[in-house]
Amino acid sequence: MPEIFINGHPVQAEKGQTVLQAALANGFYIPYFCWHPALSIAGNCRICVVQVEGRSWCEISCNLPVTDGMRVLTDSELVRAQRKDTMQFITLNHPVDCGICDKAGECTLQDYHYAYNGAPSISREPKVTATKFHDLSDRILLDNERCILCSRCVRFTREVSKSSALGITRRGDESLLRASEDGVLDRDAYSDNVIDICPVGALLSKSFLYKARVWYLKPTPSVCPGCARGCAVDIWHRKPEWKLRALDPQQNTSIARVTPRGAQGPDGPWICNKGRDLARIFERPRATAPMVKGKPVELAAALANVRSLIAAARHPAALVSGWGSNEEFAAFRAAFGDTFRVHVKHDHRPEPGEVVEDGFLIRADKNPNVAGARAVFGVGADSPPAWHGDTDLVLVWGEGCNFADLPRGAAVVFLNAYLAPENGHADVFLPISIATERAGHYTNFEGTVQGFAACFAKPQGASDAQALFESLATVAVATP
Amino acid sequence: MPGKPLIMTFPVTATSHTLADYRARGGYATLARVVAGMPQEEIVKTVTTAGLLGHGGAAFSAGRKWSVINLRDGQPHFLCANADEGEPGTFKDRWILEHAPHLLIESMLIVSYALEVRHAFVYIRGEFDLPYRRLAGAIDEAYDAGLLGEGVLGTGFALDLVAYRGAGSYVCGEASGLLSSLEGKRGYPRNRPPRLTVQGLYKRPTVVNNVETLANVTGIVANGADWYRSFGTAKCPGTQLVSISGHIAKPGVYEVEYGYPLAKFLYEDCGGMVGGRKLKALIPGGISTKVLTGAECESVTYDHQSLGAAGSSCGSGGMVAIAEGTCMVRLLQVLLRFYHHESCGQCTPCRDGTGWMHRIIDRIVAGNGRLDDLDRLLEISRRNDGTTICGMGDAAGYATVGILAKFRDEFEYWIEHGRSRCDGALEIAAHA
Repeated sequence: MPEIFINGHPVQAEKGQTVLQAALANGFYIPYFCWHPALSIAGNCRICVVQVEGRSWCEISCNLPVTDGMRVLTDSELVRAQRKDTMQFITLNHPVDCGICDKAGECTLQDYHYAYNGAPSISREPKVTATKFHDLSDRILLDNERCILCSRCVRFTREVSKSSALGITRRGDESLLRASEDGVLDRDAYSDNVIDICPVGALLSKSFLYKARVWYLKPTPSVCPGCARGCAVDIWHRKPEWKLRALDPQQNTSIARVTPRGAQGPDGPWICNKGRDLARIFERPRATAPMVKGKPVELAAALANVRSLIAAARHPAALVSGWGSNEEFAAFRAAFGDTFRVHVKHDHRPEPGEVVEDGFLIRADKNPNVAGARAVFGVGADSPPAWHGDTDLVLVWGEGCNFADLPRGAAVVFLNAYLAPENGHADVFLPISIATERAGHYTNFEGTVQGFAACFAKPQGASDAQALFESLATVAVATP
Repeated sequence: MPGKPLIMTFPVTATSHTLADYRARGGYATLARVVAGMPQEEIVKTVTTAGLLGHGGAAFSAGRKWSVINLRDGQPHFLCANADEGEPGTFKDRWILEHAPHLLIESMLIVSYALEVRHAFVYIRGEFDLPYRRLAGAIDEAYDAGLLGEGVLGTGFALDLVAYRGAGSYVCGEASGLLSSLEGKRGYPRNRPPRLTVQGLYKRPTVVNNVETLANVTGIVANGADWYRSFGTAKCPGTQLVSISGHIAKPGVYEVEYGYPLAKFLYEDCGGMVGGRKLKALIPGGISTKVLTGAECESVTYDHQSLGAAGSSCGSGGMVAIAEGTCMVRLLQVLLRFYHHESCGQCTPCRDGTGWMHRIIDRIVAGNGRLDDLDRLLEISRRNDGTTICGMGDAAGYATVGILAKFRDEFEYWIEHGRSRCDGALEIAAHA
């Protein structure tokens, strides 16, 4: 292992590392725009310069391999001067329209300006104008004036999503990021990642455009339920201390955006576009009233009804939700023991036009926790379930069940979070919470267990499935 | 060729570019000697001893560049002739391609033999029409004559040579940008490390040499290192093809022995300035080299040491003579417009610096300049120097610094009076 010295401090670097990697791994910060840990080295932004002791010039640290005994300075006078020069070049034609930029508050260029330049522009020339609000795809807007041409997005589409949908046209300070014109970026299922890796506000999400200033938002760690991959995500929503009262209070309980959560999950730092659209999955009209044969009733009355149905049933079966958490499965098992013959259900199936499975992240199983259910109940999702001939009660938990497929004559207890016609067709209907309203864990298809936290309170009238199972328990809880 | 050629001594006729003529003056005899079994190391050693320097601008030792190639690393090696002669004022490689394409091909065969190259390329600039046709014709002739392809001259040595036309970009004349373009990518220069001799074309060890550099190899291998060292000076052996243009009586391509007095070349060989004017300034080797004043030209000799001591260099041999009466402000405007237009836009300092400088000089020419703009131009030049991926960022600065250092008074006059101090009779047409 080569030993190098950063600002005089000895640092153990790994063979093949660059100075930038070794410095970041050991707590020495070097600024960078174009470098990205998951992408190839471009070396075009020139902000990551360091000075090798004894040399009268600077070098970019992202492309400088460590050699044993190397002595580098990350904050010498020359480095500071050159960084400032580079910042002035980068901001020369940048519109500095932070006031109307979605990236403001989490913008690398903003942070670096204050950290490494801080001075007003010394240019007297008019800025180079370029296209703003350029439609890059049906999901992404491009502001070419803000673009600093770091080429991260271009490299992402070449090296990660493999669509090669982006490229740079024209030359010099008139260079423009452009998408290939045949709609390849529209079909790139990972395209929105370029918005995250854009160090400035050049690439904008159409669904997040002007929706919120990021400093009013907070990220809650969660797990994407879109498929069995279970990517670790952050769900961004309004901070409790910044609740809107008068204007559109709906925003207080809605998902502002979803971003991948660091490199912690099995996904690396990327997620697919479906994971960005969790609002489309979660923010549908909610069921909030328990019902018996379509008539709203108090929760206690509905629960009493379920208890008597379970007591009367001789061959009860349950369709367990592939969207349940490990905690809920455990609670079900603890509450009912072997009372029910359990089938695990695919609540969601690939929709028309959706990417079913690719060799990268997206899995064909569009449910987050079939693996967790299999671990608890010993059965995987079977479709359609092999019903026992005499089944006389079915507990249906979650969406994705066509009641016509249920055994004839069997009573139906239905637990669902959303408004649906089936809710009224069940003998007893119980409204439940969704994943953004409770904490829990999912087990992905590889067996990785990941936790998610609650972002919002559940609506009045809905219950956590776990609490319902506990209150319906048919197995006496053993007291120690 | 006017003047007294030393290496390119053949007469230029309507057929001097053909294989028959080339063979008649001894062409491909050296190749035959080489492929008959000359040790590969001996070729590299001869060229290194001869002191052959790169003739494209950087003047790096050709032999030392080649010696990085490990002949037994089991990888494919590539050789590429840089015929993307884009430095303004330079048209010497065009002369070789038009009149002696077989000299280049024979040299490339010899170098390929020495460096275990199976595939070689000539990256030729798209604007070169006749040179391309002559080169492509010569390659066809060579294939037909069994000089290229499998079994060169009946031996086990094989080489395929491809002429690839660029699309007209200045940075594609930079070796790594050239290889990016040759690979079919955007012509962006690449960061070093790795060096191209370690990872070049298709990430394989690649030698990129200027056309004139390669053209000298056949003569060196045929006649030996001492023969080549008999030309030029001890530190700077050989000759340079100089393409001279501008306000000179006899413009054209000349072969100049290193160490030749510059004034003698200008006033005797090239016939002095047009119209009997005085020499105001000389761009000695392409616009990226620092300009010399007429007085400075009196005392220097044409070699890397003497021009280096005068603060400039031989560059690519593209000489531009500038007569008294030419406005240096408009000259710099033309140069900065060129650099702005040709900046590839990859890395920050050159992308934004060249445009910035161009807008400043445009504003000065429009009559809205301020005196501190000149310091700003120098400041931007300094910021571009050595901070970019390739040398093109530095080049824009050299041109600016060179002209501003010697002709600052003309810029100050223009800023104060809103017009040129020069009569304008011999001006280079200015473009906005």
